[in-house]
Amino acid sequence: MNSHPDASPKEPAIRPSTPGLGWDEFSKELVEFFASVKLAIFLFLFIAITATIGTVIQQGERAEVYVQEYGENAYRWFLRLGFTDVYHTWWFTSLLGLLCVNSLTCFYKRFPSVWRSMKQDKVGVTMAFIKNLKQQAEIPLDNTKEAVAQQLVHYFVTKGYRVLAKNDPGEVTVYATKGVLGRVGAHMAHLSATVIILGGLIGTYYGFQEFGVCLEGQTYHIPRGNFDLKIDKFWIDYHENGSVKSYNSTLTVVDGGQPVVTKTISVNDPLVYKGIWFYQSSYGDAWDQVEVARVNIKDKETDKIVKTVDLEWQKEQSLPDLNVKLSITDFVADFAFNSTEKKVYSKTIEHANPAVKLVINERDSVQATPWLFQQFPDLFNIKDSKYQFELVGYKPRKFTGLQIAKNPGINIVWTGCTMIVVGITLSSFIFHRRLWAKIVPGPTGVIVHLGGTTHKSQIDFQKEFRKLTEKIQTFKA
Amino acid sequence: MMKSLFLFDMTFWLYLAALALYIGYLFARRPAMALAPAGHLPENFDERDGAWATQLGQVATLVTIFGWMLNTGALLTRAFERMEHSGTFAPWSNQFEAMAYVSWAIILGYVLLEMRYKIKAVGAFVVGIGFIAMGAASLLPYRYQTAEPLVPALNSYWIYIHVSVTLTSYAAFAMAGGLGVMYLFKERAERLGKTTGFYAAFPDLETIDELGYKAITVGFPLLAFGIILGAMWANYAWGGYWSWDPKETWSLIVWLIYGAYIHARMTRGWEGHKAAVYAVFGFLMVIFCFWGVNFLLSGLHAYA
Repeated sequence: MNSHPDASPKEPAIRPSTPGLGWDEFSKELVEFFASVKLAIFLFLFIAITATIGTVIQQGERAEVYVQEYGENAYRWFLRLGFTDVYHTWWFTSLLGLLCVNSLTCFYKRFPSVWRSMKQDKVGVTMAFIKNLKQQAEIPLDNTKEAVAQQLVHYFVTKGYRVLAKNDPGEVTVYATKGVLGRVGAHMAHLSATVIILGGLIGTYYGFQEFGVCLEGQTYHIPRGNFDLKIDKFWIDYHENGSVKSYNSTLTVVDGGQPVVTKTISVNDPLVYKGIWFYQSSYGDAWDQVEVARVNIKDKETDKIVKTVDLEWQKEQSLPDLNVKLSITDFVADFAFNSTEKKVYSKTIEHANPAVKLVINERDSVQATPWLFQQFPDLFNIKDSKYQFELVGYKPRKFTGLQIAKNPGINIVWTGCTMIVVGITLSSFIFHRRLWAKIVPGPTGVIVHLGGTTHKSQIDFQKEFRKLTEKIQTFKA
Repeated sequence: MMKSLFLFDMTFWLYLAALALYIGYLFARRPAMALAPAGHLPENFDERDGAWATQLGQVATLVTIFGWMLNTGALLTRAFERMEHSGTFAPWSNQFEAMAYVSWAIILGYVLLEMRYKIKAVGAFVVGIGFIAMGAASLLPYRYQTAEPLVPALNSYWIYIHVSVTLTSYAAFAMAGGLGVMYLFKERAERLGKTTGFYAAFPDLETIDELGYKAITVGFPLLAFGIILGAMWANYAWGGYWSWDPKETWSLIVWLIYGAYIHARMTRGWEGHKAAVYAVFGFLMVIFCFWGVNFLLSGLHAYA
C-alpha cells in the first residue's frame, strides 16, 4: 500500500525546460492533480487511518482523564494535535474538504465526456480508430455486407445494446453501446460527497441540539421555537423478566396559549413540531423531589418502632393514635448547605446523601422542621418530642431526559446519501461498453473489423468480446 | 433449551462436514487433471475426473445446501422465538444471531457462485469462513445465545433492514477475503511449480481475482447503504445521524478501505497479488469492526 501522495503535482520542477510556465498549463496540471485517482486513494486511506485515533483515545474527556491514562507529556501532544477531539480539528476537516475538491474536480474533468457519449455517438469512425482499440478482431465471412450487418444488429439488440448503423458505399459501420449509466453512477457518487458535507455544515450552523431534564406535570418554554412544552406523563414499561421494555413521555405542545399537539413519545418514536424534534433520550431519578418517603417513628423511651409511615410528597398526613401530623416538604439527593445564603441544595445529581425535610406537628404544641438523613439517622434530636423520626427509604420521582434538536440540513444529507447509494450501485453492477464494427468487402465475401472499449471490468469485457467474435463467425448466409 | 439452538448446532456440524468434504474433494482430484488446457470447461473436467472425486464434490455441494436450509430453518425458528419473548422477530438482534446470519449469507453467496461458475474448489475456502463464523457464534456463552428481550433503543423496525444489510455486506467481504487467501495459495503453488494434486482443481488466478473483485463490488454499495440506514436510525432514535461513535467510525473506516480498493482497481497493477493481500487485510478490518469494536472499544453499539 502506498499511502503517500506521490501523485505529486507535476509542478514546474519536472519540466524545467519550459520557461515561464503559463497559467493555462499550470491550471491544467492543477486539475490533473486534484482529479487524480491516486489522490483519491491517498485521501481514502489517510482519512481511514486518522479516523481510528478517535476510536482509541476517548474523545471530549476532561483533562485529568487523559493525564491519568497517558501522562502529562502525551496529553500536551494530544492537545497540540487535537487528538482529544479529532473529528473537529482543522486538519481532519481539511481532509474531508480535500476529498470534496478531489471528487468535484474529477467530475469536472471527466463528466463532460460521459455526457457527450450519452448525447451524441460517434458512428462514423475510421478504420484506424477501430484497429487502435484495446479489443479488436478481424473476421472474414462468406456472406453479404447487408446480411452480416442485419444479423449483427439483431444480436446486439438482443444483448441489450443501443445500436446505430451507417450504410456508406463500400462499407457498413455498426455502433453498439451499453451501460453508460454505470459511469453516470460513479459521477453521481462523486458529487454526493460534497452534498452530504454541505448538508452537514448547514446542520451545524443553523441547527441545534440540546438536552432537557423534565419533570412530570411541568411546562417548559422552548425559546428556539417560541412555544411551550408540557410533560403530561412519564412512565416505564417492563418485560416479564423485569428488564426495561420502553420508556415513554406524553407531551403536549402549547403554542400561543393553546394546546396544539399531544403525543406519547418513546425511544425510536419522537415528536416533531415546527421542525424541532423531541426525542425520548433517557430517564433518571430526580434530585429535588420524591414521590413518597418512608419514615420510622421510634419511641424515645423504649427505643422501639411504634409506627412506619409512607408520606406522600407535600401532603400532610395525620396520625391520630400518636397525635402527630407529618408532611415532607423538601428533598435533596446529595445534601449540601450554602452558609452565606443559608440554603440547602443538592451538590450533585447522584443520590449520595439523600435527605428530606419533615414538618412535624405534635399534640399541636411541638412544632419542628428537621432534615432527616437516610445515612445518619441520629443526627438531630427534637427536644420536646416523644419520638425519634428516621428516614428509612423513599421512591424518587423520575425525570424524563429529552433530546431536543433541529437540523435544517438533514434533507440535503439524505439527498446526498441517496445519490451515493444509487451511484455506487449503478457503477458496481453496470459498466460502459462501446463497440464498433466495420463490414467491408473481402476476398471471400466480407471482412468484419470489430473493435471495442470499456472503462473498467476489462476481464468481463474481454470474455464478452471473445463470445461476440465467436458469434460473428457463425453468421451464415 | 430453545429449539433454534439445536438447529444452529446441527447447522454447525453440517458446515463442518461440508468443509471436510470440499477439502477431501481437492485432495481426491487426479493429478492428471492438471494437464487440462487452460480455459477448459469445468464440465469436461468432471468427466475426466472419473471415480469418486466428482461424487465427493457433489456430496459436498448437497451437504452445503442442506446445511444452508437448516441454517434458514434455525433463523426462522429463532424469529418465532423472538416474537414470543421480545417485541421483534428479526433473527439478528444479538451477536450470536448476527454471526449465524452472516454465515447464512456467506453460504448462500457461495452456493450461488458455485451454481453460476461451476467451480467447487472455492468451497474449501468460502464454506470454511462460513463454518468459522458459525463456530465462533456457538463458542459464545449461553446467555449470549438466547433470545433476550431487546433494550428499548434496539426495539424498532430499523433493526430489520439496517442490521441485515450491513451483515450481508460483511458476508460479501468475507467471501472476498476467502478468495484472496485462495489466490495466495494458488499463486504460491504456481511459483513452486506445484500444479498437480491439491491445486489441480483451483481455477486460474485471473478467475479467482475477478471473483474476489466482484464480491467486493457487491459488498461496497451494501455497506454504504447499511451505514446510511444506521445514520437514519440514529437520527430517529438519538437525535443525530452521525456522532463518531466507535462502531459508526469503524464501519466508515472499513468502507473507506474498500473505497480505496475500488479506485485502485482502475489503475494499472492493482489486480492479482496486491488485490488479494488487500482483500484479506480488508476482511480483517471487517472482523475488527464486527467483533473487536464490541469487545475492545466502548460506545453506543455496545449491545450488538
